[in-house]
Amino acid sequence: MKGSVSRQNIYLLALSTFLLVFVLLFSFAVLIPKGQEYREQRNELRQKNLELKSYEDFSKETLSILKKLQSDNRYIIEAFRNEFDAQRFKKQNKEYFVSLDISEKTYIDKKEEEFNIYEVNTTSHIFSPKSFYDFLDSINKGDWIIKVNFPINFKRDDDVIRSSFTMRVYKDSNRSK
Amino acid sequence: MKLSYVKPRRKSVFTSEIQLLFVFFGITILMLFFTYAFLLYKDYKFSQDMQDIYKNKARIESNIEKMKQKITLVEKKNLLAEKIYTQNSVLKDSITNLFDLVPKRITLSEAQLLKNGLVLYGVTPSKDVYNFMLQAPLRSIFHKTYSSFYPLKNGWLRFVSTNYVDEDELEDEIENSLEMDEGVEDEG
Repeated sequence: MKGSVSRQNIYLLALSTFLLVFVLLFSFAVLIPKGQEYREQRNELRQKNLELKSYEDFSKETLSILKKLQSDNRYIIEAFRNEFDAQRFKKQNKEYFVSLDISEKTYIDKKEEEFNIYEVNTTSHIFSPKSFYDFLDSINKGDWIIKVNFPINFKRDDDVIRSSFTMRVYKDSNRSK
Repeated sequence: MKLSYVKPRRKSVFTSEIQLLFVFFGITILMLFFTYAFLLYKDYKFSQDMQDIYKNKARIESNIEKMKQKITLVEKKNLLAEKIYTQNSVLKDSITNLFDLVPKRITLSEAQLLKNGLVLYGVTPSKDVYNFMLQAPLRSIFHKTYSSFYPLKNGWLRFVSTNYVDEDELEDEIENSLEMDEGVEDEG
């Protein structure tokens, strides 16, 4: 029996070995690390997506809080936004006064970044202090945020009371818009 | 002279074994390359997704920050408005109390309400009426009270009452009352 291997079979064996080594090398050196990296990336992506979802949920929650706050304080927000109009103010409060004069508004530098403060001096005639109480009640429900400030003077003037007082009007500054 | 009865066939390098080998390894290598290409694509997709996530996260963070600022501003506005409304209501109560304080026998002609004081002008039938019925309650409210009188032709007296609150003393009083309240709570 002849024990020799033919040359063709040797080539075949060598080629098979080479291809097998290539397949194994490629698999172990490139494919498996890449696969591991892919698995890690997939987990990281899942984690980041969860994180993003929690951010989105928090954003929705914050938005709903803001909307609720804005709707609850709609009147106050509007009042801060309104530009003081002396004529409209007079019209709205004419029932409390026999006469009402309002000076030009002057800007007060209060260093409050969010708000501008204007001051207007007011002189008026009223029939009784009750009118002034009613005016103070109505000013809290008016179109502007107004604080009646000292000094306040009441002086008898025949049948009426001459009153003078200062009002501070608070308004949104440009920074707060 | 013919040595064989069969026709000679051409010999090829690609024998059936070689072909089988190539097919087998070809499919294997192709599968490996496809898998590798898939992983490369996923790698690229991962970096794209991560970029999108970071962009979205930054956008949401900035939105949340803006919303928080708006919430703070609305709260600040609400607080300020409430403070102003309360001050107006307190002012109304103060003026009501002031006019309630004046007895019917005394007539006021002028009242000046100052930040830390009160100046009253009026007429009284006598000093005693003024002292007992107006000055006494005013003394209980203000720290400094000064009065001056001018006689009128009808025997009545015109008076000017100047009253001031000492702000330092007022702060001390508030502090003392707070301390007393705390003491009472502790004992309770």
